[in-house]
Amino acid sequence: MSTEADIDTDTGTSRTGTTSSASSVNPDSVRAVARKDFRDSIRSWVFWTLSFLFFMLLVGTTGLLSYFGSDIAAQGQTTEALVGMVQSMTSLIIPLIALVLGWKSIAGERQSGSLKILLSLPHSRKDVLLGKLIGRSAVLSISLITGFVLAAVVVAALLGSFDIADYAGLLAVSILYGVAYTSLAVSLSSVTRSTTIAGAAMFGIFMLFYAVWNGLLTAFWMLMNLDYIPQNETTAQIALLFNSLSLNSAYQNVLSLVTSMGGFTDQTEMVLEGMFGSVPFYLQDWFSLIILLAWIVIPIAIALFRFDRVDL
Amino acid sequence: MPALRVDELTKSYGQTLALDTLSFEVHEGEVFGFLGPNGAGKSTTINVVLDFIRPTAGRVEVLGLDAQAHSREIRSRTGVLPEGYQVYDRLTARQHLEFAIESKGSDDEPETLLERVGLTDAIDRKAGGYSKGMAQRLMLAMALVGEPDLLILDEPSTGLDPNGAREMREIVREENARGATVFFSSHSMEQVEAVCDRVGILQDGQMVAVDSVEGLRDSIGGGTSLRVTVDRIDDDALQAVRSLPTVSNVATEDRDPPTITAQVDGSKTAVLAELEDHGVEVRDFSTTEASLEDVFQSYTTGAEVTAR
Repeated sequence: MSTEADIDTDTGTSRTGTTSSASSVNPDSVRAVARKDFRDSIRSWVFWTLSFLFFMLLVGTTGLLSYFGSDIAAQGQTTEALVGMVQSMTSLIIPLIALVLGWKSIAGERQSGSLKILLSLPHSRKDVLLGKLIGRSAVLSISLITGFVLAAVVVAALLGSFDIADYAGLLAVSILYGVAYTSLAVSLSSVTRSTTIAGAAMFGIFMLFYAVWNGLLTAFWMLMNLDYIPQNETTAQIALLFNSLSLNSAYQNVLSLVTSMGGFTDQTEMVLEGMFGSVPFYLQDWFSLIILLAWIVIPIAIALFRFDRVDL
Repeated sequence: MPALRVDELTKSYGQTLALDTLSFEVHEGEVFGFLGPNGAGKSTTINVVLDFIRPTAGRVEVLGLDAQAHSREIRSRTGVLPEGYQVYDRLTARQHLEFAIESKGSDDEPETLLERVGLTDAIDRKAGGYSKGMAQRLMLAMALVGEPDLLILDEPSTGLDPNGAREMREIVREENARGATVFFSSHSMEQVEAVCDRVGILQDGQMVAVDSVEGLRDSIGGGTSLRVTVDRIDDDALQAVRSLPTVSNVATEDRDPPTITAQVDGSKTAVLAELEDHGVEVRDFSTTEASLEDVFQSYTTGAEVTAR
């Protein structure tokens, strides 16, 4: 969050000359708003339901693996297999939870007028946005941590070889992934005072990463195969780059950075080197981490800039 | 230094002009009634004061600070009871107060503040189940956190029964006695006249009158309304009454017995004497003071004031 904390809109671009003291970020204020938001947004059953969901996801997958996956166990790759399978499910579930937790965060308070309570107190609008982001992220992250930690005991008992580093790695990138979707949700929630429009925006975000992004990529490959788009190194690079910019691809690709799984096989690496001379930077796992972080920082940064300039 | 200075403030929404070069001042240490019918622009003004919305033109200074550039500092020294808010359903009164206390960095006790507004019973109940009046008391308690220099109360009587409204005025007096300036908006003169030192009347985004309560009463010339029951109506007698310099709005009611009404600024006996000089028998008479509500009505509807 430190990047945002340093943002100051005293740029003189505001017609009305907003200065830093009114629109700056005050860590104490952010903390107060985040704590209030955490208390207010979290009904205890939401928290325990989410924790239980993640717990069951891990334990259930582990159960299936230990029952059916004797081959995998024989190769000592059970944690890797678990991480891969769980990731493919959390990749869908985490966005849904984050978007549902975040969609009303600002729009709902604006619509009902409770935002007036927050802003009658000495908080800047930036404090409110950041506090909301932290508060809602905390709900998701803490339930992820709770689910993972509680499941760890069962998973370790069931799996032949339990790799704690892989397990923790999956948890860490899942939290980042959840925060990115929360950032998108809170930011979009701040651009409208209608919760209906905010809800539509949440659906739009989900569709963007689940249908539109892949659809565009498929269309691109098809047009390339039909020779509407020339098939050469540049177009192939564009398509691969576009693919790696997606939040969901980043979540998948970053796994090889933090766990022992994934990454390119030697064969793939040879093909890529043959095509481009070397493996392009945007296909490397450290780049996925940057993309993941960018999806956290950029939406909230735009929202921070914009939210300061509107009539509430 | 005025506690609040509104200078040529204009706010337009597209074609609609919500505030039209509005200017007025609230002196330090006074209770100022900000009066106007719904839609006159009271909340728009308060929203600019709190930097919820930005002016189209003009500026506002609060406690000597620019309302936009120093909004955070202003709000740290101001207690606000907003209008059209919703409390946090899942937080208790205590948690609401704790949040305000933490936000303002003050060392108030939630219990003490809730006791002042009469909400001690509900301190640990979630605010989602509160009545409008209870929510209003909770918000008033939050406004009192940190002994603010300025209290901005937007329609504070909303949802309060007469007893609650009286308690609220009592708190306004206590806060004022402590040294706080109070800015009190209302659509009802009745709510402000008992507690305000000065009153400003807003109509269509413009201030149509700013004066003390007495000054407003006088300015209308409403003075006293005289109602005389007579045995008959005599045109000469009426003419003579109309020609008196202190009398206006002479009218007759053709009833049995006939009645003459008039607005009188000076001596009422002069009117009675004039009637009797013309041979009209005065059977009965009564007088009424023009109420401030009438004054307010006259400013905001354009109707002439006639005391009842």
